[in-house]
Parts: sequence; structure tokens; C-alpha cells
Amino acid sequence: MLSRIGNSLFWMGRYIERAEHVARYTKVHYVSSLDAPLAQNKEIALESILDMVGVQAAYYQKHAQLTDDDILYYITLDDSNPFSIAANINGIRENARGTRDSISIELWEIVNRFYHNVNNYNAAKLQHKGIFNFSREVEEFCTLAKGYVSNTLIRNEVWMLISLGIHLERAIQISKIILNKLYDVAKIDPSQQGGTLYSYQWTMLLKSAESFDMFQRHYKNNATRRNILDFLIFNPSFPKALTYNLNYLQNNIQAIGFQEEKTKGSLTFKIGKLATQLQFLTIEEVEENAIEFMNKTLEKLFNLARLLEEKYLIF
Amino acid sequence: MSDVRNYEMYKGVFQGYNLNPAYLDEVFSPAGEVLPHYSLVLDQFQHFTAEDFKELNELAKVSFFNQGVTFAVYSDKARGVERIFPFDLFPRIISAQDWNHLERGVIQRNMAINLFIQDIYHKKQILRDGIVPPELIFSSSHYTKAMLGFSPIGNIYNHISGTDLIKHSDGEYYVLEDNVRCPSGVSYVLSNREAMKKTLFNLFRKHNILSVQDYPQQLLAMMQSVAPETDNEPTCVVLTPGVYNSAYYEHAFLALNMGIPLVEGRDLFVDRNYVYMKTIYGPQKVDVIYRRIDDPFIDPLAFNPNSVLGIPGVLGAYREGNVTLLNAPGTGAADDKAVYSYVPDIIKYYLAEEPILNNVHTYRCELESDYNYVLEHMEELVVKPVDESGGYGILVGSCSTREQREELKKAIKANRRKYIAQPIMSLSLHSTFIEDENKFEGRHIDLRTYTLLGKDKQFVLKGGLSRVALTKGSLVVNSSQGGGSKDTWVLSK
Repeated sequence: MLSRIGNSLFWMGRYIERAEHVARYTKVHYVSSLDAPLAQNKEIALESILDMVGVQAAYYQKHAQLTDDDILYYITLDDSNPFSIAANINGIRENARGTRDSISIELWEIVNRFYHNVNNYNAAKLQHKGIFNFSREVEEFCTLAKGYVSNTLIRNEVWMLISLGIHLERAIQISKIILNKLYDVAKIDPSQQGGTLYSYQWTMLLKSAESFDMFQRHYKNNATRRNILDFLIFNPSFPKALTYNLNYLQNNIQAIGFQEEKTKGSLTFKIGKLATQLQFLTIEEVEENAIEFMNKTLEKLFNLARLLEEKYLIF
Repeated sequence: MSDVRNYEMYKGVFQGYNLNPAYLDEVFSPAGEVLPHYSLVLDQFQHFTAEDFKELNELAKVSFFNQGVTFAVYSDKARGVERIFPFDLFPRIISAQDWNHLERGVIQRNMAINLFIQDIYHKKQILRDGIVPPELIFSSSHYTKAMLGFSPIGNIYNHISGTDLIKHSDGEYYVLEDNVRCPSGVSYVLSNREAMKKTLFNLFRKHNILSVQDYPQQLLAMMQSVAPETDNEPTCVVLTPGVYNSAYYEHAFLALNMGIPLVEGRDLFVDRNYVYMKTIYGPQKVDVIYRRIDDPFIDPLAFNPNSVLGIPGVLGAYREGNVTLLNAPGTGAADDKAVYSYVPDIIKYYLAEEPILNNVHTYRCELESDYNYVLEHMEELVVKPVDESGGYGILVGSCSTREQREELKKAIKANRRKYIAQPIMSLSLHSTFIEDENKFEGRHIDLRTYTLLGKDKQFVLKGGLSRVALTKGSLVVNSSQGGGSKDTWVLSK
């Protein structure tokens, strides 16, 4: 397979996963902010949306204030925001277009159709349809696209590289969401309805990771900080959990069989080390310094992505 | 006579259909009778109302749009607007007898052109014998010195040729143009057929139509026949300028249907006169390149040094015989519109046969008598620059203004070699569904056929691309000039 094609497939996977997470995060936070317990908390929720995508500074350059409509438009459609959901959808489509001879017609057509759907949106239509519906459309599209990835492709390098992109991006997005919520929680003033606000933020964390229901099944409503972090970081059988995705990446990278020496700097070595580390850590060891731990993990994930691109996907 | 059906019997969509006696109508005789090979289609169409057609039309459009069979229209919006290539649901039908004649004719013509290209890069015998004037070849911007004395594998130069034909009011087919520099449009032939099968499947049950689906397999087999000798199965690729090229859809389509990689220049590199592609597992040798990049851009070392599309050193690898390029560089010297006028002589010279297909009489402005004739009769002629493609720069005398003609006269005086002129040919009319009118009207059509030449093998795609000038009265069918297309059926008997 051409390295350029490999690169496009990898990024198609990443953009699919990224679009889905940004859409869901925006939806969950915006909808929750509507009846947030305190006005100050509404602001935390809105800023949190910008932080999740890393565009807070850019947003304030354009807009003086945090207003609902400005934020929603900026995150979803604004052409001046290179990290908008529309930009992600465009990224999916451009990469799919460049790899049409590798992927299935079904996958291409759903991507192409949805791209045009989003392209037909403008501020008025967004307002009319509402962010809830827009985000749900995006989430459903991403799920459909991944359905076609799983059900129409041969299990060869094409499928492996898209999957690699999806699961690496998912590990990154879940880490970012956890980190973001840890920061949001740190902003809470415990003297003001501390208890309600804490559980409100933890619920948003689970919902943003599409994990609320499964968490409740698993922990029978025992929503403590420790249980939630344990579930999202260490559960090996839940597809959103960090560990699950790292194990997946390890198998996937081995299966692709990049031609490399198994030395310290190799891809196989690095993913192996990262995945195994999580297999042998427990929540008790990280919960005290959760922010530091998540920051380090995120950095390692970024390094892994960079190494993969520089060594095998450059052209 | 009860079994003669007249178009007036078909109410609704054919109401008020105008026969224009100046042109040949592909569907109706001058008396308005339906020609026999169209009768089944017309019988089917009479069950449809204009509304039904509108609906079918929309269905076909959505199918094209979702498949991404689109071309980009540039605008000031950040993301470009995409349009589909207009497609008409009324198929163009060619009888078995007509097709047999056309197929033999285009093979003869393209084989003669191949021998001609071989000759002008070797002994130049045809020039020495005074059949074709040497200045005509040596002054062509497409004549490529790097090809002198070099023989490509199988001695094939124009592996893929697009021959443009029209049917004149005398009922005869004429060749309008030869395209031997990677002609485009074949993906529309295959996509049109798919769209037709989805929307008007009933029609297919009643006809014996020759398939077009084997084209990608034939193309691949042709590529393999001209591959350098290798230990393994040869690696064939399609080379595209990239996703922003207007024909990118076609490049991807062909690669996908042949099951071979679609590469860009930046995916390839040359090492010690071999071409490799960069893969996730390291370099892999490439044997045959179907390039959809024009000669000047293919190798920045040999041609345009500013090209970022090409592969530095590929021409060296080619001349060593380590990789095959198709079509060969330098074929453009033979599809020049001035050379066109010599093709009947070229056929006689190399094959000692009479040309099967007619040529349109061509006035060459570089000849004194022709030059004067063109200046005096411009209103009755079509004047074309010899080296442009896509319908650019064409002047149809009868539809031109005085200023346009004066301007062109000046341009011709300044560069006589650049212009040829032909009598205005009466492209046949074919009924076509006109959306704005909600009914069928006659529109001018042509036919581009696709011929493959490999080592000891020839193949012609059964049918080809029928292009329609959708603007009323227009004779220019190119997609870049508002043309559309039709599915083209060749009947098996």
C-alpha cells in the first residue's frame, strides 16, 4: 500500500472519531448548560466546549463574549475555525476521496452524502434544527461510517489503518475529555452547592464519553470519582475505555507488520509499553495525581501518532 | 399502414416535436416515422408522462451525485460547488451494421496513426516520400526529441485513442478529431450505463445490448501486454495529478475497476533508472504507468522543470525500457488538427488500404489557396486552433459576429500554422429530454469511441460516449462548454 494512501486512511479514521466526540461533547455540555445549577456553572460548560477542541483563544479573538449561538456556530460550522465539526467532516471526505480505490463504495457514498448534508447547513438552518439534532446527525453518521468500515472491508491493511486511526483518536479524545472534566471539577467552589455540582460534572463526563448507561449497569449507580475514572481508564472490556483502545492498538500494529527492528524506539515497542503499563496499574495508584497522569498519557499518545506518521506514512 | 409509428402518435412528451429537415434525426425518418431500431424504446416511452420523466431524471441525478460523479465548479465559497455531468435518459442506439463499420474503421485509423508516430520518431519515411510535409511535424510543439530512435515495448505509442465521430446529413459517419493524448470520458460511459440500468431496467430486457463493463479488464490486459519483462506479475498503476484535477473521478474509477493502485507523482521515485512507489512496507517497483498527466509535466528533469506533478528521472527509466508509459510521450504530434487532414493519406501509405471512415475536408491556413479561401468564406466554416482541446478557441462561422471574425482573421495572419478550418458539419440531432421545457426536443450529438492497442491486440469499447449539445442550436458538445451525455447502445444484431 502507498504510504500516502496509508496516511489518508489513518486520518480518515481519526477524523471520523474526532467529529463524533466533538459533536457529542458539544451536545452534552450545551444541553446540560441550559438548566445548570448555577449561572457560573453555565459558563464553565460553555468554555469547556471550546477547551475540548482547544479553540478558546481563537474564539475570543473573534467574539468578545461567550454567547450560546456564537459558540455553537463556531464549533460546528464556522469556516474560520479549522477545527470545526464541518472541517472534520471535510477531512473525512477529502481523505476518503483520495482513497476511493481502496475503500468500499458503501463507505464512500455515506461519507459523500453526509458531507453534502453538512455543507447545506448555515447559521439559520443550525438554529432551526437545533444543536441537539445537528450533533445527533453527526454522531449517527460517524456510527454508520464505522459500521461500513467494519462490515464492508477486507481485514487487510486498509481496514487496519482506518481502525488504527479510529482507536488512536478515541484514546486521545477520551483522555482529553477526562482531563477536561478534571479541570472543570477543579474550578468548582466547594462552598457553593459543591455536592450537586460535582455529581453534575461527573455525569457530563460519562455522557460525553457515551458511557453513562454502561457505567450504571456496571457499578449499579455507585457514581464516585474513583469508580468513574476506573471505568473510563482501566476497564479492558468496555470499548470507550482507554485500556481497551490501547490493547486494540497493540494488536493492530503487530498485525500490520511494519518492517521494523523491535528496538526501543520502534512503534511495536512503544505501543507495547504504553498498553502494558495500563494493564498493570490500578486506579488507586493514579487517582491522587489523575491530572498529571492523564497529561502524561496524552503526551505518549501524541508521540505514538507522530512516530507512526513519520516512519511509515510519510510520502 | 398500421405498423408505421409516427412521432405524432406519442403524445405528451413528444408533443410538438420538431423535425428539422436540415439535419439527420437519429430517431425519426424525415417523414416522422420511428426508425426500426428505436421502436421498442419509443413504445416504452409512450407510457411515461412528462412528470414521470422528471422523476426518473431526478433519480438518475441523485444517483450520480451520491456516487460523487461530479466535477468542481470554482466559486468564491470556501468549499467549491459540485455539479454532475448532465445525463439524458433517452439512449442513443447504434445498429449492429453501423457499429461493425465504425469498429473496423477506428481500428484501421488508429493502427495507421501508430505506424505514423513510429515512423516520425525513426526513419521519417513518410516525410521523405512527401506524403506529409516535414515542417508540419517539426513545428509541432508536441514533437518530442527524447523519443527519437526509441522503440517502446510492442511498438505501441497510442495505446488509448479517442476518435470523435459525427453523423452528417448525408447519413454518413465522419471522423471529426483524433485524440491520442490520454483521452478522457470513458468513466461516464460506464457510469451512464449503470444509471440507465437502475432507472429504465425494463428497456434492457427487450434489447440485446453489447456490454461496456469489460473495458477496465481490457485496459488492464492491454497494459500487461506492454509491460517490461519481470519475474513476477507486472505492477501497473494509474498516475493522476491529484484530487483537485477535474477528471480525478475518472482516474480513481479506472484504478478501482482494474484493481490497481492510483498514484500521484509524489508517490513515485526513480532510483538507478527503475521506478518505485513508496509503500507502508518500503519501495515497490512499478512496471507500467497509465499516466493522466500531460507530457510537459511528466518529468521535471526532461521537460518543464517547474512541474510538481511528475516524477524526476522517469523518462530515463522509460528510455532504458524499465518502465512503460502510456500513451507514449510525443504522440501529440499526431493528433494535431492539421495532421488530421492527412490521416486518409497516412492510412493508404502504411496499410495500403482505402480509409473505411470519412474525413471532413480540412482547409490548412498555412497553404496559400486554403488560407485565402478561409478568409473569404469564414461565415460558412468552423475555424479551430490546431493545438487546443476541450472545445476552446473554436469559431463557428455561421454563429459568429463580424468583430469575432475580424479578430480571428488577425490571429490567423499572425500564426497561420495554428489554424485549420472545416465546412460546418451538420451534426445529427437526437431527441433529448429538456428539463426546462418538460418535453423532448432535438439536440446535436457526436460520438467518442475508445480504442485500445496492445502488443498484438486491438479492442474497441462497444459504443462510447455520445455527447449532447444541450443548448438549443449549439454544435459544441464538450462538457466544459455546457454539453451533456447519453448512454450509447450497440445492438448485437
